[in-house]
Amino acid sequence: MNAQRFQDLAEAYGADVRRWPEAERDAARAFMEADTHGAERLLFEARQMDLALDAAPRPMVSHALREQVIALAAAAGLKPRARFAFRRLAWASGAGWAAASVAGVLVGLNLSQPAVTRAEADAVLYQSQLLALDDTEVLG
Amino acid sequence: MATRVVDPDEDLVSRVGQGDPAAIQAMVARKLPRMLALAQRMLNDPSEAEDVAQETMLKAWRQAPRWTPGKARFDTWLHRVALNLCYDRLRRRREVLTDTMPDRADPGPSPDQGLQTAELGARVDAALAALPERQREAIVLCHYQELGNIEAAALMDISVEALESLLSRGRRALRASLAETARNEGVLK
Repeated sequence: MNAQRFQDLAEAYGADVRRWPEAERDAARAFMEADTHGAERLLFEARQMDLALDAAPRPMVSHALREQVIALAAAAGLKPRARFAFRRLAWASGAGWAAASVAGVLVGLNLSQPAVTRAEADAVLYQSQLLALDDTEVLG
Repeated sequence: MATRVVDPDEDLVSRVGQGDPAAIQAMVARKLPRMLALAQRMLNDPSEAEDVAQETMLKAWRQAPRWTPGKARFDTWLHRVALNLCYDRLRRRREVLTDTMPDRADPGPSPDQGLQTAELGARVDAALAALPERQREAIVLCHYQELGNIEAAALMDISVEALESLLSRGRRALRASLAETARNEGVLK
């Protein structure tokens, strides 16, 4: 890459080489390493322009707009299918907590009483599954 | 055979298409600010920008269930939708306001104020709004939306060389406009 091309790229894309065409970034970096002061001189104006552009305020999304857009999703027909509804319901009903508790119990049992209590853990797991099903049936 | 496009939004779009409420929230958080910023900078009108952002997201909700992954990036498609909506509004403005539209945007606050950051931001906004439409679009897509040159050129339906030319001319015009404003206010050193 020569100085003219380096300058052209800086004038078009700004001083941040990451914004430059991917195919030319390595050559640009090599140019910068070979002539740091020359490259910095060529980048100076582009950097000033970048700073000015970055000073422009970024539009903020209002709460009202955000809520409207989320509401539009339902209006457009995006509704949770059964598995999402079930997942939420299961969690809310406590089945998820029950399963998490059982997982904790199982870990504890495995650490302390590896073989002896496996049958008991299986029983606890089985019970919790029954409980979860009951909850779902009651709430669902 | 066409190369499969890698899309960082692929999983999210798929979950949105299935109606996953968390994915819908995540999509809003990820894309709504980008679409609002794009529209605001293209139109320089907060109310119209909100309308465009909202309409773009509505089209996203409708598209998600039938989105075919691997053919294009969802973000690029969203930009295309938002830009088309912006073009429509800009065209309508030209038709309605040809006789009354000012050549340049309002330069902003009175000359006795210094160029503080917020004020500089407002000046840049005004100077950006006064740029020719295609130069502004090139700068908005490449600098603010951080799209790559190939993606931006494709969205604008021009070559990469033409994009580069628009960017250079746009940035030069912005610099001249800001320098002129500063000179008029006697703050240019």
